[in-house]
Order: sequence, then C-alpha cells, then structure tokens
Amino acid sequence: MNTALRSKTGAEGTAHSGRPEIKVTPSRFRNAIGKYIVRRSKACIACGKCAEICPYGVHEFAGKTMARPKDYRCIGTACENNDFYCVRQCPQNALSVRLNPILEVLGDRRWTPELLISTWYMAETGEVPPGDIEYKIGDSGGGFDRIEFCFPPGREPDAVPDDEVSLRIPLNRRDDGRPEVEIDMPVYGGGMSYGSISLSVMVARARAYQAWNSFTCTGEGGYPEELYPYDDHVITQVATGLFGVREDTIQRVRIVELKYAQGAKPGLGGHLLGDKVTPAVAKMREAVPGSALFSPFPFHSVYSVEDHKKHVDWIKHINPRALVSVKVSTPTDVDMVAVGSYHAGANIIHLDGSYGGTGAAPDIAKKNIAMPIEYAIVKVHNFLKEEGIRDEVTLIASGGIRTAYDVAKAIALGADGVVVGTSEMVAVECIRCAACESGRGCARGIATTDPKLSRLIDEDWATQRLINLFAAWRRQLIEILRKLGMRDIRELVGRTDCLKHLDYE
Amino acid sequence: MKKLFSDAIIQSRKRLYPTPPEISYKADEEGGCGVTGFACSIPVGGRHILEPSRLMHNRGNGKGGGIAAVGLVSGDVGVSREILDNSYLLQVALLDPEVRRTVEDKCITPFMNVDFSRRVSTVDDYREIGSLEIRPPDVWRYFVRVKPEVLKSFIEKNGFKNMDPRRAEDEFIYQNSIRLNRTFYETQGVKHAFVLSHGRDMMVLKVVGYAEDVARYYQLEDFKAHAWIAHQRYPTKGRVWHPAGAHPFVGLDEALVHNGDFANYYSVTEYLRQRNLYPHFQTDTEVSALIFDLLNRVYGYPLEYIIEALAPTTEMDFDQLPPEKQEIYHLIQTTHIHGSPDGPWFFIIARNDFYQNQFQLIGITDTAMLRPQVFAFHDGDVQVGLICSEKQAIDATLAGLAAEDSRISSVADKYWNARGGSHTDGGAFIFTLADDPDNQKRKRIVCTDKFGHRVRLPESRKHCALSLAIEAPEDAESLAATISGCLEGKKTNLLCEELRGVLLRGEFAPFRWCCEVISEQASRSDGHRETAIEALTLLNDLHYPTGSLKRSSVLRVVRETLETILEGIAPIGSNSSSVYRLIKAETGNLLRPPKDGEKALVLNARDFPPEGDDCDARLVCNAYTLGWRRFICYGYRGQRFLGSGFGPDTQDVRIDVYGSSGDYLASGIDGMSIYVHGNAQDQIGQILKTGKLVVYGDVGQTFMYGAKGGEVYIMGNAAGRPLINGVGRPRVVINGTALDYLAESFMAGDPYKGGGFVIVNGVEFDDDGAVRAQATPYPGSNIFSLASGGAIYVRDPLRLLVDEQLNGGIFTDMTREDWRLILPYLEENERLFGISIERDLLTMDGERKSPEEVYRKIGAVKLKTLVATTAKEKDQ
Repeated sequence: MNTALRSKTGAEGTAHSGRPEIKVTPSRFRNAIGKYIVRRSKACIACGKCAEICPYGVHEFAGKTMARPKDYRCIGTACENNDFYCVRQCPQNALSVRLNPILEVLGDRRWTPELLISTWYMAETGEVPPGDIEYKIGDSGGGFDRIEFCFPPGREPDAVPDDEVSLRIPLNRRDDGRPEVEIDMPVYGGGMSYGSISLSVMVARARAYQAWNSFTCTGEGGYPEELYPYDDHVITQVATGLFGVREDTIQRVRIVELKYAQGAKPGLGGHLLGDKVTPAVAKMREAVPGSALFSPFPFHSVYSVEDHKKHVDWIKHINPRALVSVKVSTPTDVDMVAVGSYHAGANIIHLDGSYGGTGAAPDIAKKNIAMPIEYAIVKVHNFLKEEGIRDEVTLIASGGIRTAYDVAKAIALGADGVVVGTSEMVAVECIRCAACESGRGCARGIATTDPKLSRLIDEDWATQRLINLFAAWRRQLIEILRKLGMRDIRELVGRTDCLKHLDYE
Repeated sequence: MKKLFSDAIIQSRKRLYPTPPEISYKADEEGGCGVTGFACSIPVGGRHILEPSRLMHNRGNGKGGGIAAVGLVSGDVGVSREILDNSYLLQVALLDPEVRRTVEDKCITPFMNVDFSRRVSTVDDYREIGSLEIRPPDVWRYFVRVKPEVLKSFIEKNGFKNMDPRRAEDEFIYQNSIRLNRTFYETQGVKHAFVLSHGRDMMVLKVVGYAEDVARYYQLEDFKAHAWIAHQRYPTKGRVWHPAGAHPFVGLDEALVHNGDFANYYSVTEYLRQRNLYPHFQTDTEVSALIFDLLNRVYGYPLEYIIEALAPTTEMDFDQLPPEKQEIYHLIQTTHIHGSPDGPWFFIIARNDFYQNQFQLIGITDTAMLRPQVFAFHDGDVQVGLICSEKQAIDATLAGLAAEDSRISSVADKYWNARGGSHTDGGAFIFTLADDPDNQKRKRIVCTDKFGHRVRLPESRKHCALSLAIEAPEDAESLAATISGCLEGKKTNLLCEELRGVLLRGEFAPFRWCCEVISEQASRSDGHRETAIEALTLLNDLHYPTGSLKRSSVLRVVRETLETILEGIAPIGSNSSSVYRLIKAETGNLLRPPKDGEKALVLNARDFPPEGDDCDARLVCNAYTLGWRRFICYGYRGQRFLGSGFGPDTQDVRIDVYGSSGDYLASGIDGMSIYVHGNAQDQIGQILKTGKLVVYGDVGQTFMYGAKGGEVYIMGNAAGRPLINGVGRPRVVINGTALDYLAESFMAGDPYKGGGFVIVNGVEFDDDGAVRAQATPYPGSNIFSLASGGAIYVRDPLRLLVDEQLNGGIFTDMTREDWRLILPYLEENERLFGISIERDLLTMDGERKSPEEVYRKIGAVKLKTLVATTAKEKDQ
C-alpha cells in the first residue's frame, strides 16, 4: 500500500485538483528521531553504493563524503532480506543498523514511540511510513488499541480512484434555516487557545484546515487578528471562562462551539498557569499577566437544560448564520446530555472522551473521570437513533483520536466525524514530554507563548506538516473504505459490524 | 413519643414491600423547568395560572405540565364544606379508562367510605387544545374516609395505638396510594392508573403537554382555589412520555414542583431506602416530595427544620447562627445530610396544613442558590403572595388578577430573592393563609422567612382602585397650567416635583387626574411627548415619599400613563410626521430605515416571541442595521437578548427598556447605553465589552459573567454570582448588595491603571424613599474569591465584613487615590438614582465621615494556587 520515498524532490504525483499539495517537509532539527539508528563507521570510503541502492533515501552524499544517515527513514532489520540491504551490500562493512534506544524513554503507552515516529514521518512526507513501524494503534491495552477492523477476507480492495471515494461530511443536518456547511474530510481541529499554544501554531492550523476545507477552533483564549483571513475555517469557542469572547468573535465565524466540558478534565474547567500568562496572552484575554487563569466549571449561567437552550439561543441570536456545536465530556448519562443538546438546538454534538488532553490536564482527571470515548460514541449514537433524531445532528467524537485508523474506528462506532488535537501537535514535532503547562517548558516551541521559544516554529513549515499529515490520513481512510467496499465515509457511520474487539470476541 | 411513632410508621411501610425493590436510578433526566405559584387571600379561578404558565413555555418543552390547587371552594367540587375540609380528596388518573372498576374494587371501596365520586370534567376532545399531542388521562375524584374497622385493624397491626387516629388515617391513605401505584403503574412496564393526589382540600392534575393545557383541558378556568402552583417540564429522555412523571408530586397534604436537577439522586434514594421509601416514578421531584413528607409527617419536624434538612446552613452563615440553633442544625445536618438534595434546585410547595388549619405556599432555594427565583407580596384588602422562577410570571399573574378584581394591583408591594442556606432568611419564604382573627369570614396572608421573621410591608397605606372615576381637583385649572407649562418648556424635573407634591395630598384622584392631563397633552407635539415620557420615567424609576398612598399603586398609575403615551405614538406604517415611530409584532414587517427627522423607534414587545428569528431583539438589531440608533422598548414579558447582536462600535445607540425585560439583556454590548426602568433578570451583561448599563432596580443571577468592561449602575441588589470571571475594565456600582459569590475569579487588572472594580454600597430605600444601610453590606460567605486583579470598594463604616468572607482577597487601605478613582462613578450614581454621596453615603448618624472611614477596599492577593508551579512542585 505504501510507495517508498524515492526522490529528494518530494513524493510524486500527489497533488491533484482541489487537494492541497504535499511537499516534503523535514524535521526542523538536524537529527530527526527514528525507530532505527544507522551508523557509518570510519571505514566508509564514500563509494556511494548505499545511496544508490537504498530506496528510502537514508543515504545521501554531502559533497564528496557521505552525509550522516537519515536513519529515521530506515526500515531497519526488516530490510535484511532485501537485495538493497545496505549493511550487507557495503563493500567496507562500514554500516550497522540497530533499534534506537530512545524508544525506551520516548512517548507513553497511548502515544507509543512508534506512533510518534510514524506521525512525524507522515507529516514530513504525506505518506504512510515504510517498514514495520506501527502507525495504526498504540499500546494502551484498551480503547482503540483493542479494536480492529475486520475486513472481508479474501476481498481485494476496490479499484476505484481516490477521487471517487468521498470523505465529505455535512455539519448541519437539521432543517433550521441555517447554512449547509460541509467539510472535505471527517476531521476538524480541536480548541487550543492562544496562550496554550503559540500563535504560529494556531495560524498554521487554520491554514492547513483551510487547505483541506475544514475547521480549526480557537479554544478559549481569544481570537487573534492573525486568524481573520481564515474566518470561514475557524470555530469560535465559547467556554466557561468566556476569555476573549466578544460579539465580534462570535459573529465572524460559521461555527460557534459551546464548550461545556473537556473529556480530559470534566468537572474542572480550564486553567492556564501563571507562567504561560505572558503580557501578550493577558492582553488578549484582558487579564493580569503572570496570574493563572481559571475557567470555572460549569458555565455559571447554565445549570439546567432550559438554561442550556437559552444559552444556545443567545449564540444563535448574536450570529444568525452560525451553526452551534456543543462540546461535552462523557459522563455516564452522556446520552441524555446529547439528546438535551439536540433539543436545545445544537447542530453538532461533540463528545470529548477521556483519552485526550495535553500535559496540562491533571493526571487524576485524565485517567479517572470521563467515560472512554469508544463507549460514549456507541451509547449516544444508539440513543439518538432510538429517539429518531440521529439524522438531524452531526455527532463528533474526540479525546484520543491519534491515527487515521482511530478516525475510521470512531466513525464505525457511530460518529460522523472526529476532532483531533494532539496528533497535530505531534505532526509539528511534539515529543509528548508533558510539560505543556509551564510557559518555558515546551522544548519544541509549540505549547508556549514565550516570545523566544515560539520562534522555534515557522508558520509555513507547520502548515505544510499538517497538510501532509492529513494527506496521509486521507489515503488511509480511502484505503479502509475500499477494503470494506464503500465509496463514502458516511456509509461507515455506526457500522460496528465492521469492527471487532480483541478482548471480547 | 414522636420518635416512637416515626419508627412505627417506618416499620409499618416494610409491609408494602415484601421484597425491597431494586435499586433505582433516575429514569428521567430533566433539567430545570419553569415553576410558578401564588396564594391569594380570596379563592380565585385557575385562569390566573394560565398566562404565567404560558410565559414560561421556553422553560419547558411541552412534554409535561401540571398544576396543583389548594384551598378549594366546596361548590366547585360538589361536596359540603365539612366533607371538603375533612375527607381525603383522592384523584386517580386512569391511563386506561377500562380499569376504573378494578382500581375501585381493589384499592378504594374495600377500605374506604366514598362520600362522593365523579369523573373530573374535561373538554370534549383533547385536540381542541392545540398543543396537546397526547390525550390526557381520565381523572376520577373521590372524597374518602377510611372505614372505621379498617383503620382500627391498621392501627392495631402496626402498633399505632397511642397515635392520634387522624394521623393513623393519614398514613393509611398514604400507604394505600403506594399500593395502588404499585399495582397499576409499572415504571418500566404496563401503565394503567396512578394516584395524582390524595390530600385534603387540595388536588393535582398533570398531562403530557404544557401546564396551561391542564387548566384548559380539565376546565379549571373558573375553578377556584386559594393557592395555585404550576410547572412546565423539560424532560429530554424517551420519545414516549407519561403524565405520571410530570410535576407536581405530592406528599400527603402538599404538592411540590421543582426546578433543577439533583446530582445525588442515588444517595438520596439510599437515604429513603433506609426508611422504607422507594421512589416509584424515579424523578428528582418525586423524591423531593417523599423527603418532605418524611420530615414533616413521619418525623414531625417543624417547617424550619424541614428546610434546614433540605438546604443546610453552611460556611460563615452557620457561624452566624445563635449557639442553640447551631446545635440543633448540626444534629439535623448530621442525620439528614444524605437526604439533602445536592445541586441546583428550587421548590415551590403548596400545602394544606390541616392540623394548623391554614394553607401555605412555600418557596425553598438550594444552599448554593443555583436556580433563579423571585418572590413578591401584594398587600391590601386582597393579598397575594407569589413565587416564580421568572419575574414576568409574577407580573402576568398580578395583571390577570388586577383585571378581575380592582382591589388587586398589577404591581406588587415588594419583590425579592432568597439567599439559600443563609442565616439571614434561610433561603425560604412562606406565605401562610389563615383565618383572620378579627374577622372569621376572611383569610389573611402572613409572609415569613425560614426563621419565622415576618416580611413587613408599610401598613395602612391607600391602594388605588382604578375602577373609580377620576374627579378633577379643586385647583384643576392651575394644575393644568403648570403641567402644560412644564411640558412646553421641557421642564422635566419641575413637572416631577409638582406630581410628587400632588401625591402628598393623600388621595389618588388628583394624581390620576394630573396623569390623565399629561397623557392628553403629550400628543400635542414631540416636545411635549418627550418631556412627559421623561418625567413619568423618573417617577417610575426613583424612590420618593408617597405619603399615605401605596407606592405600588402610584407605580401602577405612572406605568399605565406611560404606556398610554407610548401607545399613542405614530405607527410605523402611518404618514404623520414625528420623531417617534411605533412598531409592534404585527407591524414588524414594515420595518424600514428612519426617514428625515425620525429619531426614535418605539417598540411594543408584548406580542413578540421571547427568542428566535422573529423576536424583538432581532428586530432591534435589524433596525440598527437600517440606521436607527435610539430605541424605546416597552411592554416586556420576559423577552430575551435585547441589546445583543449589534456587534462592535455602537457608541451612538441608546435603548430604554420598560416592563419585565428578559434574560441576557445587554449581553455583549460594545459601546451602547441601555437604561432598564425596572428590575432586570438573569445573565444580564454577559461578556459586556464597553458601554453603559443602568438598572433602576435589581439584577438577577450571574450578572455580568465574563464581562470585559462597561460602566454599570445598579440601583438595587444583584442576585447570586455577579461579575464572575470579569476581566478588562468593568466599573460597576451596586447600591444594594449581592446574595453571594460576588466577583469570583475577577481578573480585571490594576484599577489605578485602567482596570476594573465594583463598588458595593449596601444601601436600600425605606418606605418613604430615604436611603438607609442594609443589615450588612455583604451577607454572603464569599466575596472576591480567587481574584487576581481589580478591586472591590465596599461601604462598610461599621466594619461588618470579616476576613472569613474573603478567599483570596485582602482588605487594604482605602487611599485618597482610591477615592479619586471611584468618586466620578459615585457622582454619576447620585445623578442617576438620587443617592447622595454627602447625605446618604458619607453621613453616619448625622455625622459626616471621611471616605476612608466609610469605604473599605478589597484587593487581590497572589495565591499560591494562582501563581506558577515549578515542575518539581507539580510532582509533589
């Protein structure tokens, strides 16, 4: 399924009409992290044999000598049986390959080192990584990691061109006189505030989602002017702290998201520790620099379903053309919450499960409170069906959607689409060190508003990395649909018969 | 002895459940709802609950409505007074009309003597009531007493020997209804019949529909009762609803409606299980009624202790109680905390207090005051006590009653909120309706709080019966000349003073005559009209002596005159030239840009829907887009969102609002000025950006949540949670106080450098319009909690506020610089409300004090939890 990376000029033939172009966008850092380490000893005579035979682009000339191997492209020991296995072919025996010991310390069970590395690879190339790197699931022992697709055995994937497989989903499914809004892939960006992430990452997200005709979300930290050019692809989040929310920010967008809770920390509201409240962040939120910012839980103006309806009515009043998304976490009565939100007039019901969240969410909350998203989706999907209103709402799932396979599984469980966040951070080279909450803690310049650190990220670079990641996901989603004999992602919604749980046969 | 009976009763209920039912979870999820209720010293028809219910449609979804009536008229129910007083009025809903005989044979006739039975009459076809989608149940009404031999054996079997046999009979009736429900109504299965109510001189009806459908379907418009409560339900689960889940729920002689949602339903049901009570319909409201009856009838608690068990007194409020109360409250809390509903809730209870020979209407709010609630009291020949979730329901009830009975005014004498779980009022008020000791033929209402303190209204003031003819006073000629002089010369203040003088003559006639003259002359020119509107607005807004006349009656006359003048403005479709143009719901489609010289759009909100694309707030936005800048909006009945949706930079807009304006008023405004000529409701000024908001009254829950700025003046009090998460530079004067949680998480920078602050004056007006200090400038336990910026300036000359009320704030010195900062706002406050800095705010017992002596400043401190934690600290 994957084509090997062949040239230095970029993957071939990936751009086609209406789709953003994939451009190879390597790591910002000199030595990208890979699964394998390739060492070249002093015995090398720069004969160029390795560069000639390796189809993955590990070996390159640097002038007259060989460059340091780009070992993150190497498929490792799986190459042994190939004719082009450089270690064997090297006339000087100057090459060796071994597992990168960094795997022992990188990532965690949900975001395994291989998932990180494969996501980086996809963000660089727009392609699925070659070799034996795991790019579909993590190692959490639960959730999407224990759910698999059961593709019809013996069936060849349908030979339909990519463009004839539709990944579009509508976001307004109720007949309420508000505009139809469609996105070209069943994914949009979750709320990450100005303050929690740097401005360049924020803008890069908007640009990437514009390129893919989808949306990014402001999170709760105001609406920087730099986002104005992308208004049509921005979701204004109205969360419990109401930071940076003005009528203007509600009026300029096509979707407004009411964030009631976050699956990573239900019942806790949001918080931005004093460290990250730089003068610029404080200005945007009109608060005090250096003092932590808390969003209360819950909305103090909403303590019941009729308050909730009034709240939705208020947003609809301010912006008569906006769709309203209601983001909730997944308590045990999430089905009731969803139906209540439908009756309150929501167009999108966004379930945020417990696996998501960055390092800023407290562990005790992340690991103990909300219902796992794979349970919540099914519960809500079925309940909405029973109530006869499933076709009138768009059901979006989030909270630990890491890979294209997670996307497809969430949809097969009953969601119409998903929201992602952490995968994007990984695409721009987050290493999951979980120090997001401290202002100068992000070594990669992503989750920071520190003026110096945020210079680590170039907006164009980040934009392209995200575009590439989604291109790779798109391919995988299309491939999954082909294998299932489907032509449209909407056919997959609620098809739990296409899935199996490895623990409950 | 009492303890023995409670044990005996609890034990006896075991027999109802040979095998205890399975642990139940909440069957229905419902959020808040609309609740309304009133008690009247004369019996009035059910029609008066129709309009307030209708106005709360948007608090329900038409999937459950119910009403209860207490204190009935014997003629209406076809029995003698004696039977009505003493027999149990058993009302059974038959979902399947065929089962009536079986129900009677199994659960009624073997045990009870039936004095009278009849099917409750209904309209012929439920489809006549447009909003009813499901046929309401047939209801049979029985007046019953337990057969002596049955009662005797019941008493013997359960060891109730020393109990008052009447109370044993109560318990029999109660248990019999449980048996009936368990036989004929399965929550998860077949549903044939259930008991609606079984108390004395009270009854409950409920449907799948809206509350007013109940009154229409069961033809209650002319059915009279002393107390009515109604409930609009908002259930969200299930496609099929049953009326049994709708409110009210009953104990024995009481009916309870509820707005809210318990977070601890399970724990409460556990508490009930331990006392052999098992909810059958599995809603919060049912368990509320079960708890109330348990505490009331089984434990025999007085009402105060019942309220304490439901809404415990906590925090500083507890510390402020007298030691003997602390002791008993501590015991109550220890015993009943698991039965205390947690989360947002508000109850209205109507009951026949049989053994005290009185009726009661009770409103109880939760300790955290999470639900909106308004109380009102109308005194006079006919008294009315009202409790509602939104003020427009009160207005609608009074308007309906006033239209029918000239002894009732459409304006109440007092409106207020309760402070849940407090030492001040206990968060509950009770309207008790009993025989007048001086005149056995009539009933009088006394309003008390949880602790029995009476809510006092000015006594022996004259009510104005509008039905009386208006006679010209002797000095009519000179009065008329003065009025026209003022109107011509635009002498607003002078006109006001004249009218105030007329009021002090002690009769309504001359005042009403003057108002009529003003009303006539107002139509002479735009100038006349403008002055008339301004002068009447001042009379409506401000507090001043009214001598021997009732202020509420004066206000009613002023408001009706004002409304007449506004009604007389040229309609939008007409050709007459005027700077004013009147628009109404039915002429909304004629909206156009202002023509030459047209300056103000006058909007009658009465018939506009409360929200949505056709609401008045949207029309006003559209008018703004078309070029209108000045708006006078009146006739409000809870319509929402006025002032929102205009977008940024609206400095040239001014809106004046009259009537019961609705929630989210002035939310998000950026530049405009809004003057609210009366009380404002909940969620006012949410995310307010800039602009000016003046409220000539109180504001409701979560006022200015997440506000970024604005210059705001509140004449009265704020309810719970004002200014939470305020940032930027909001500058707010609250002349009254707030229930609690003022400016939690306030982050509005440094006040000296353009940041925000709140001034709390803690004053109120006495009955003669003079300013006086409230009992404490801030009664709540939390002020400025977790704040990181901004400041509170509180007028506290007696230093009543203590450190315990601060959770993150700190008292700091009030400096000259602070005074310079707040003085301009107090000056504007004086100009707007007549609250004088020199006379009212800085003078204490006739002595002029310095600002530093009178005001205290609360500043933000850097709390450990608010400043950065290092990674190391985090690990620990």
